[in-house]
Amino acid sequence: MPEFDAGKVAEIHQHLHSHLPSESALRVKALETLLVDKGLVNPQTIDAWIEAYTDEIGPKRGARVVAKAWCDAEYKNRLLQDASAAIDELGFLGKATAHLKVVENTDQVHNLVVCTLCSCYPFSILGIAPAWYKAAAYRSRAVRDPRGVLAEFGVAIDEDVEVRVWDSTAELRYLVLPQRPPGSEEMNEEQLVELVSRNSMIGTDRKLGADSKGKG
Amino acid sequence: MDGIHDLGGKQGYGPIEVDDDESPFHHDWEGREWGIAQCARTPGITIDWWRHCRELIKPEDYLGRPYFDSWAQTDFSTYIEAGWITLDEIDAGKALTEDTNFGNPVTAMTLQQVLQEDHDHAVRFDAEIDVPVAFSVGQLVITARHGNKGHTRLPQYARGRRGTINAYNGAHVFPDLSAEGTEIHQHCYSVCFAAAELWPESEASHDKVYLDLWESYLAQA
Repeated sequence: MPEFDAGKVAEIHQHLHSHLPSESALRVKALETLLVDKGLVNPQTIDAWIEAYTDEIGPKRGARVVAKAWCDAEYKNRLLQDASAAIDELGFLGKATAHLKVVENTDQVHNLVVCTLCSCYPFSILGIAPAWYKAAAYRSRAVRDPRGVLAEFGVAIDEDVEVRVWDSTAELRYLVLPQRPPGSEEMNEEQLVELVSRNSMIGTDRKLGADSKGKG
Repeated sequence: MDGIHDLGGKQGYGPIEVDDDESPFHHDWEGREWGIAQCARTPGITIDWWRHCRELIKPEDYLGRPYFDSWAQTDFSTYIEAGWITLDEIDAGKALTEDTNFGNPVTAMTLQQVLQEDHDHAVRFDAEIDVPVAFSVGQLVITARHGNKGHTRLPQYARGRRGTINAYNGAHVFPDLSAEGTEIHQHCYSVCFAAAELWPESEASHDKVYLDLWESYLAQA
């Protein structure tokens, strides 16, 4: 059982700093070897988790939720009221999404999601977070210079649009509902799914559609 | 803890490295670490204790090593601290005792079982409590001037600042104590801060920053 002894953990980190190999691949190999040796993890289960988050769970799930909300006003209402229950209708409830909140972009509002303290992310609906989301540059700047950050993603926000940054400091997780692109009125849900970029659901993409940068 | 992890508003980290590659893992070892983190947990551990152990990584390692590398190091530290593996075993690179005392080795799970577990792992952190809420939506509040010396979820950039209660989130597990092994629930609120309240260069801005904060971080403004 853990003793919750922070002083001891600081000493352990010091030891690991000087005793583990420097290459990340070797460090993780060392961890897996020991845990398998101890019977604490099973390597085939690790394989299955990799497969799950490579082939099954990812931003396509979020895109499906967004497209459904664009097509079905009642679903959108349910999504804005209780997003965890609404994604569960599609079987997408899971890791880190039991307290999901959907924030909606409008002509007057743009939403941006960050976790400044670690890298909290709604895994079961967006999959593994992009590298930039977990990097110090994004975590430090998103709350202080959101417009500058967005410009680096090629997103210009008009002066009269309010930017709302959501710092995931508790167990709530956020999904941005982007605006349905103009000219997509004739498209069905299946076609709309293809328009929804991962970044638009984090808030680092805004105008979707023909001139969107696509999947980014 | 005013550690290196508390990055909000810190300056000097440069431009965003925008990367259009959407592969979940960029190296095999990243996927291995993701999988290890999903299927291995020491009994009695809390998410907040795990986060705190990550915050305790030496600053040069926290900033200088890849993201999933820091997960591996956090896993090492939580297992060692709880006595499930030893520093000698790290140095030897293998288990040094046959008597692992952990029961039978875990069996393999299939993809379907893992997907089911992901669904079942939608852990809720809220509960009903008897304590009445101290704040209501629209009320002005001011955050604490100082953080907890251990784990806390009140970032430095939002301390001693005035905000408005945006929504009530329910009573959630209080992270400062959960990181010490004690689970109590405390009212948690979505609090809205004007960018102008947070940053000297944002005086003319009408942008907002929202944080989810526990009641004991807040006082009436």
